[in-house]
Amino acid sequence: MPSSTSNFKRKLRLPRLFFSTPPEIERVHGGPPLEYERPIPEVPSRGIATVVVLMVIAATCAWEFYCRSIGYGPTLNDGEDLWTSARRRVKPDSIVVIGDSRGWFDLDLDELQKGLGKRPVQLAMGGGCAYPVLADLANDENFHGTIICSVVPRLFVAPPGTPPMERAEKAVRRSHTQTPAQRVSQYLAMPLEEHVAFLKQEELTLDDLVKRLPIPNRPYALVSPRIPPYFGTLDRERRARMIEGCAQPGKLQTTIQQIWLPLFTPPPPPTYIPKEEFAKRMGQAIEQRFHDVAAAVQKLRSRGGKIVFVRLPHSGGLKALEDRETPRAAVWDRVIKDTAAPGIYYEDFPELAGFNCPEWSHLSAGDSVEFSKRLIPHLRAALQM
Amino acid sequence: MLFNSLTFVVFFVVVVTAYWSMRSWNARKNFLVVASYIFLRRVESAIRGAALFHDGNGFLAWQTNCQGQGTPFAARVVGWQRLHEPEHARVFQIRELSAAKFSVAARAPRNHLSTTAFGHSSAVGISFYTFHSLSYTLDIYRGVLKPTKSLRDFILAVSFFPQLVAGPIVRAGDFLPQLVRPPALRAGQFLWGLLLMTLGLFEKIVLADTMLSGSADRIFGYAGPLVALDSWLGVMAFAGQIFFDFAGYSTCAIGAALCLGFHLKDNFRFPYAAIGFSDFWRRWHISLSTFLRDYLYIPLGGNQVRPVRAATNLVIVMFLGGLWHGAAWTFVVWGLLHGSYLVVERVIRVLFENRARTNNLATRLLGGFATYAAVCIAWVFFRASDFTIAARMLGGMFGGHPHGDAILTTREMLQIALVTAGMILVHWSLRDSNIETAVMRLPRWIVTAVWAFMACAIILTQGNSNAFIYFQF
Repeated sequence: MPSSTSNFKRKLRLPRLFFSTPPEIERVHGGPPLEYERPIPEVPSRGIATVVVLMVIAATCAWEFYCRSIGYGPTLNDGEDLWTSARRRVKPDSIVVIGDSRGWFDLDLDELQKGLGKRPVQLAMGGGCAYPVLADLANDENFHGTIICSVVPRLFVAPPGTPPMERAEKAVRRSHTQTPAQRVSQYLAMPLEEHVAFLKQEELTLDDLVKRLPIPNRPYALVSPRIPPYFGTLDRERRARMIEGCAQPGKLQTTIQQIWLPLFTPPPPPTYIPKEEFAKRMGQAIEQRFHDVAAAVQKLRSRGGKIVFVRLPHSGGLKALEDRETPRAAVWDRVIKDTAAPGIYYEDFPELAGFNCPEWSHLSAGDSVEFSKRLIPHLRAALQM
Repeated sequence: MLFNSLTFVVFFVVVVTAYWSMRSWNARKNFLVVASYIFLRRVESAIRGAALFHDGNGFLAWQTNCQGQGTPFAARVVGWQRLHEPEHARVFQIRELSAAKFSVAARAPRNHLSTTAFGHSSAVGISFYTFHSLSYTLDIYRGVLKPTKSLRDFILAVSFFPQLVAGPIVRAGDFLPQLVRPPALRAGQFLWGLLLMTLGLFEKIVLADTMLSGSADRIFGYAGPLVALDSWLGVMAFAGQIFFDFAGYSTCAIGAALCLGFHLKDNFRFPYAAIGFSDFWRRWHISLSTFLRDYLYIPLGGNQVRPVRAATNLVIVMFLGGLWHGAAWTFVVWGLLHGSYLVVERVIRVLFENRARTNNLATRLLGGFATYAAVCIAWVFFRASDFTIAARMLGGMFGGHPHGDAILTTREMLQIALVTAGMILVHWSLRDSNIETAVMRLPRWIVTAVWAFMACAIILTQGNSNAFIYFQF
C-alpha cells in the first residue's frame, strides 16, 4: 500500500544526487533513513475510539450491576501476591496462623490479639496445604515465633503435585521471588478489588463463565470438582468473614454444602496405575509428609519457636465424610504423636464443640469471634503463655 | 513487568504522557532509556551484572567500530562479542531455568513451558537483548551500517522497552534511523497503536491463556496414554497457544512502539496459512528467522553452494535456532525436525518444479494442511519436557494407544476446535494481505464492535493470566 513514506524517502534521497555531503540523517547512521514505516489504516480513528470507550464503560458498568444484583460484593482476591504481602509482615517473634480456610474464617485476629498479646499474621490459605508454609517458616533462620496450624486432614497430607500443595508452594515461591512490578500490581489491584464486585479471580472470569456452560460431557472425561462460589470477604490482613447470604439458610448455603462433598471425596485412582500400586504410593507420600512435618517442627523448636495444631469445627454431611475418610486416629493423632506438639481438637472441649458451621465447613463471622474468645485459654495453655 | 499487568498499564500511561509532553527530542530519548531500564528493572537484582556486561560489551564494540571498521582490533572485539554474548545469555537462561525448575535435570513435567510457573523472571529477555546488540555490531562489521555517534541512541536501540523482553528482534539498522528526528504525534497512528495493543492482549489473555493453555497443559501433563483425538487436540491447543502468546506479545510491542512514534516490523504474518516450511519460516518469528538467515545461513554459504552443502547449512541453522530456545535436547530435536522439513521441501520442489497442477487450489490447500500437521508434530518436542512425554504424545497421535484415556471435556474440545478453526480461517483469509488492509475494508461498525469486544473480554478475564511463553527464551 503506498504511503507517505514513499514520497518522504524520495525527497530525502534526492539531494544526495546533487550534493556531495549527505544529509545529517544519513551521515549519523548511514544508509537510507526510515526504511520501514508501518502502514496506518485510514479510518476515522477518533470516532471509533470514542465509541469503543463508551461501549466498554457501559458494558463494564452493566456487568458490575448484574454481579451485585445476584449477590456478589467487593473483596480482595487471595492471590499469591496478597499472601506475600502478609508473609512480609512476619517478624522473628510473630504469631502466625497457617493451614487452610478454616484457619482463615474461624480465627478472629482482634480476639487473638487481645488474648495472646500480639496481632497474629494470617498465612492460612483457602484450599491450601499447611506443610509448604510450615517448612518455609522452619527454614527461615530469623523466625522463632509461634505458629497456630489449622489441620484439615485431607489438605494436610495432600501429596506433592496436587492442587492444595501447588497452591501453597506457589505462594511460598512468590514470596521469595516477587518482583517490584508484581508488588506494585498488587498495591494497584487492592483498591480496585475493594470497590468492584466482579473482580473475582476464581469466578466471574471469562474462563470460569465458559467452564459453567451447560455442555454435557463425554464419558470418562476428567472434570475438576467445582469450587464454591463467593461466600466470604477478605481484607488486607487476609482475615476472611462469611457473608450473611451464606450464614443464613438459603440456596447459596445449600449449594456450597453440596460442593464440599465431591471436593472432599478422594478422586478415583488413575487408570494407568494399578490400584494397589497407587495405594502404596499414596501411603508412602503420606508417611513422608508426617516425617517432613515432624522434622520441620523439630527445626522450629530448636530455635525456640512454638507450634500448636488446631482442629477447627465442621458440621453436617461434611463432618460425616471427613470422619469416615480421614478418621482422627489416621492423621490428627499421628501428627500430634510424631511432632510431640500440643494439639487442640475442638470436639474435646464442650465450650468449643457447640458451634455450627452454616455451610458445613466454616463458622459465620459472628461465631468466629466467639469461638476465638473461647479458644484463647486453650491456646495459652498449650503454648505455656 | 508484563504487558498483561496493572503495573504496565500505569507505567505505560505515565511514559506516554511524559514522553509526548516533552519538547526536546533529546530529553524524550533520555526519558525512554530510563523508562526501558525501569521496565526491565535492570537497576537492581542479579541482572544488573548482565546489563552492565552487555552495555559495556556493546559499548566497546561501538567505540572500536567508531575507530575503524575492519581493523584487526575491531575484528577481535566483534569476534569476542559474538562469542561471549550468546554464551552469557545462555548462562543466564540456564541459571534461570534451574531457578524455575526448568533445567534439564530438574524439570518437573507439568512445569515445562507451563506459563503459570514463571515466577522468577529477573533475567527475562536477555537473549533478545543480546540479539539487538549483536545485530548492531555485526551490521557494522559487515559494512551495512555506520556506527552511531551517540551512546545514548545505541543504548536505546538495544533496550527499547516494548520489544526488549520477548521480541521482535529489532535490528539497529531499522531502529537507529528513527532516532534522528522526533516523530510527530499523530492521532491515527497513536490510536492504531492502542488497537494493536488491545489485539495483542486479547490474543494473549483470552485466546492463549483462557481458551487453550488449560487443555494443552492437561494433555501434556497427563501421565497416562491418551487416545488419538485427545492427543491431537492437545497438540493443536498448544500450536494455537504458542502462536497467540508470542504473536500477542509482538503485536503489543508493535502497538506500544507506535504509540511512542516508532515503527517495528511484523514478527508474524499468518503462519498457519503457510504452504511449505520455507513459507512457514517467512511467516513465523520473522525477526529470528531473518536474523538467522542473514547472520548465519548466508555467511555459511546459503544456497549459493552445492545442494548437499546448502542442505547441511539449513540443518545447522535450524539446529542452532532450536538450541536458542533452551538447553534441552527436545528443543534440539525440534530444530532438527524443522531443518529436515526444509531439506525435504527443497527436494520436493525440485522434483515437482515444472508440474502445472502443483499450483491449483486443491494442491495449495493440501500443502497448507500438510505443513500445519508437520509443524504440529514438531511442536510436540517443543512442548514436551522430555522424550518420554514426547514419545507418549506421538504414540497417541498415531494410534498407538487405541484404549488410552479420553480426558478432555466436551467444552474443552469445542474450545480448541473453534479457536483453531477460526485462527486458520483468518490466516488463510489474510495470508496475502495484512491486518491494516483488512481493517480498511471492513465496515466501521464491525471494527468498532470487534475492538470493544476485545477490550471487554480482556476486562472480563481480569488479568487472571500467565507470563508470556517467550519470556524464557
